[in-house]
Amino acid sequence: MAESNKRMRVEILRFDPDKDEVPRSQEYEIPVQEDWKVLDAINYIKDEVDPTVSHRWSCRMAVCGSCGMMVNGEPKLTCKTSLSDYEGSIKIEPLANFPIVRDLVVDMDGFMDKFRKVKPWIVRAKERAEDMENLSEKGTYSQSPAELATFKQFSMCINCLLCYAACPVIANEPDFIGPAAIALGHRYNLDSRDEGDRGRNEIFRGEGTVFSCSFANECSEVCPKNVDPAAAVNQAKLAAVVDWAKGLILPREGA
Amino acid sequence: MAGAAHPEAMAPPKKGPTRTAPPRMPESWWGAQRIRTYLLFGATGIVYFVAGTVVLKLAWALGTGPEAWDRALGNLSHPLYLIFHALTLVSLIFVGLRAFGTMMPKMQPRNGPLPVLAAGTVKGLFLSVWVALTVLLGLVLAGKIFP
Amino acid sequence: MVQVSRHDIVIVGGGGAGLRAAIAAAEANPDLSVALVSKVYPMRSHTVSAEGGAAAIARDDDSLELHGFDTVKGSDFLGDQDVIEYFVEHAPRELALLENWGCPWSRNDDGTVATRAFGGMSTKRTWYATDKVGFHMLHSLFQQSMRYDNIVRYDEYFVSKLLVEDGACQGVAALEIRTGEFHAILGRSVILATGGAGKIFPFTTNGTIKTGDGMALAYRAGVALKDMEFVQYHPTGLPGTGILITEAARGEGGFLRNNKDERFLVEYDYGVGDKAELGPRDMVSRAIIKEFEAGRGFENRYGSYCVVDLRHLGEEHINAKLPFVRELAKTYMGVDPVHEYIPIRPVVHYMMGGVDTDINAATDLPGLYAAGEVACGSLNGANRLGSNSLTECLVFGAVAARSALDFARGASDGDSARLVAQVEEEAARVNALRGNGKGNEHVSALRTEMNSTMEAGCGVYRHQDTMQVAADETRNIRQRVADLHLKDTSKVFNTELISALELQNMVELAEVLALGAVHRKESRGAHTCRDYPTRDDQNYLYHTLAHRTEDGPRLGRKEVNLGHWEPQERKY
Repeated sequence: MAESNKRMRVEILRFDPDKDEVPRSQEYEIPVQEDWKVLDAINYIKDEVDPTVSHRWSCRMAVCGSCGMMVNGEPKLTCKTSLSDYEGSIKIEPLANFPIVRDLVVDMDGFMDKFRKVKPWIVRAKERAEDMENLSEKGTYSQSPAELATFKQFSMCINCLLCYAACPVIANEPDFIGPAAIALGHRYNLDSRDEGDRGRNEIFRGEGTVFSCSFANECSEVCPKNVDPAAAVNQAKLAAVVDWAKGLILPREGA
Repeated sequence: MAGAAHPEAMAPPKKGPTRTAPPRMPESWWGAQRIRTYLLFGATGIVYFVAGTVVLKLAWALGTGPEAWDRALGNLSHPLYLIFHALTLVSLIFVGLRAFGTMMPKMQPRNGPLPVLAAGTVKGLFLSVWVALTVLLGLVLAGKIFP
Repeated sequence: MVQVSRHDIVIVGGGGAGLRAAIAAAEANPDLSVALVSKVYPMRSHTVSAEGGAAAIARDDDSLELHGFDTVKGSDFLGDQDVIEYFVEHAPRELALLENWGCPWSRNDDGTVATRAFGGMSTKRTWYATDKVGFHMLHSLFQQSMRYDNIVRYDEYFVSKLLVEDGACQGVAALEIRTGEFHAILGRSVILATGGAGKIFPFTTNGTIKTGDGMALAYRAGVALKDMEFVQYHPTGLPGTGILITEAARGEGGFLRNNKDERFLVEYDYGVGDKAELGPRDMVSRAIIKEFEAGRGFENRYGSYCVVDLRHLGEEHINAKLPFVRELAKTYMGVDPVHEYIPIRPVVHYMMGGVDTDINAATDLPGLYAAGEVACGSLNGANRLGSNSLTECLVFGAVAARSALDFARGASDGDSARLVAQVEEEAARVNALRGNGKGNEHVSALRTEMNSTMEAGCGVYRHQDTMQVAADETRNIRQRVADLHLKDTSKVFNTELISALELQNMVELAEVLALGAVHRKESRGAHTCRDYPTRDDQNYLYHTLAHRTEDGPRLGRKEVNLGHWEPQERKY
């Protein structure tokens, strides 16, 4: 492998609750390769310079969603962000708007709880065994390419949480359920196979959900997978209102 | 297996506790271009608040009597008022463009009976409606129609 | 302090197989408590990186017989035919269930699920969701699993030991990564679903979490590893990073080309016949290496490579069917496949071998089951067909859950005191390792040494002498791994400690792999020996077993379960 002589200063936010009262910043100067991603630089430091640096990563192909961090203040998927986009020095911090567990690792249990609240699974009125007339002989529901296209985009979320780090609403209102969770709830509402939209719309009319969004559109700007959560959140607003209005006029079946 | 074998194990395991550092705001938060647009968008609220008090003042003058009304109308031609009105117009256009250029296209229901339009089309529709309304209003004020 | 929790079934691993098992178990009885223990949050599991598709018959021109025979032939007749028959029969229902749970399978115009062509498959039977099938499968499963209150997740817990008492597996010792504390997670039966061990090799499509933990856990607990010498090289990985370019790129009509712009699979005889680019992975990988050797590869700073040509498919088709391939090629190679070639070379992708299991996903150790890549059933024999493994996770994940439930029904809770004592012992071992400044070996250096040893000795083409070197060196590395020098003394999220534990797992497997390779003096499927270039059914039509002893692996053999498909010459 051809060696390049390029060097770079990498500043990493460090926090070890066993030792540090508050987070501190540590600087490393390392040789870098032209085709490295930001993650490669962190891994180099971990392997060759300072094994105590802690971070999460796995697939290094922008699909597992582990390695979201703040790079020069912007939320980035570090395995997808080229080091050559930055000149001379770079500053890496854990994702904003999340409590810091250690170094570049944040506490994402809050997100996991929010995620579950939107019931991110197919809800059917009947159990599968009683639902057979809706299934083909192969056991699948019918869904046209157009019906698939309705929700496909919102199913592309990799839960990397960059949108939470970018959202100014979360910064002020930590209990806001957040862009990714709403996008995934809305994804099921749009799925032709799902019958759970009534329930989810009720959740969406609750405190700290879609109407907390003030349309900063930040989530869509930073999303590495072009999910456009801002679109989902604002469609969900409309759907939740329409559903509420319908409930006033039409009698609810079943409830 | 009859009955719950380990009902006490149904609760999720307790995490931690380890001490965490509080969440941080990105340092470039105020400086980022996108955020500046969003903050400006929010700041137009102040303009509308002030514009609202002006309208209230006019309504109060109208209730007080013809003199007060004339005085209030006269005040409106003050250069400061004119600048403020220009600012209000710019704010409205800015918010209108953002709402109809960015938010409305995204808000279109995907599974409704209407086709999902391209962002540019929504923005274009908005602009044409806006221009048409302005022309209509101008014509009314000039006394060309509905004299 | 060891914290103790009790469940009915403990599942280790939260990927495709683990989640499928958890759902199957949770569904069977809402009163059961199912623990799902994973060293990462489930949606980070490596199932997420699978791209091309999942196989199950769907079309009228297809049949169980055909899918079965394709798989048997693909396995170079080392696959167990009872397992293969069970698999092909249950595959369609599993994929349909996944559809019911919301997986966004790509569709035909009439609303049915679409299928695409794949290597070694004789008709279109690979279900797909564009080219992010693993991602959609994993997320559909994970989101489905959230609806069950009786699935108790232990996210970011590293299992370092299986707890065996009275001859049965009764739980696991798990390190909570967040706190550094040990937990005794006890269950009446345990399912391993931890995936493969691609990170033994330097150049792999696998994510960094794929360190063969489950294989090592079982191996240390006395269970045999089976057929570990069979390592699948995927023909098309990006040079440098090893990022996967899916076989669907060829399934959708892409060509492989050499530096003379020839479709070499068509121009030269590589045994793939008229299948050309749709040949099985072992043969296509060998063909690419042969091209390199004949001087017909391109060269860059990462060595030789060939290219995938998708240009003739057109932008619309690529965007519709292969959007992820386009994104990956652009981001990681700087080429747009609409106009340019994608550089590729063979890359370690999958372990055909694993924990020795039977058709019920059961191991020799009572109470211990395994499913997915960690297990060797053996569905895949000497070479896996692309798109069989995602389905394998589902079919055998469900089987493992059923078997584990059956076992749990008859078992009683073990003696907590003795089990906890084992965990305390394990905790002491791991605590001594944390921040151990006395050792002489460094994790990353030793890992690099293991990586290069394996690449040199156990590549696409293998030689007796280089394999022997690899076997000797891995043995040496395994002995040195006890003497690690660690710097990080913190208990909180100590990733250096986790890396060390993972390395200790990998070196055991590397040794088994190299030794198994040396001993198999034939060429079968993915194991290609230059010194013994043909298949030898007379002497080697059996599974290799490896049992752990203090002096290294003790090899044994297990009969292949042949059914009505007789071994024949493998030609396409």
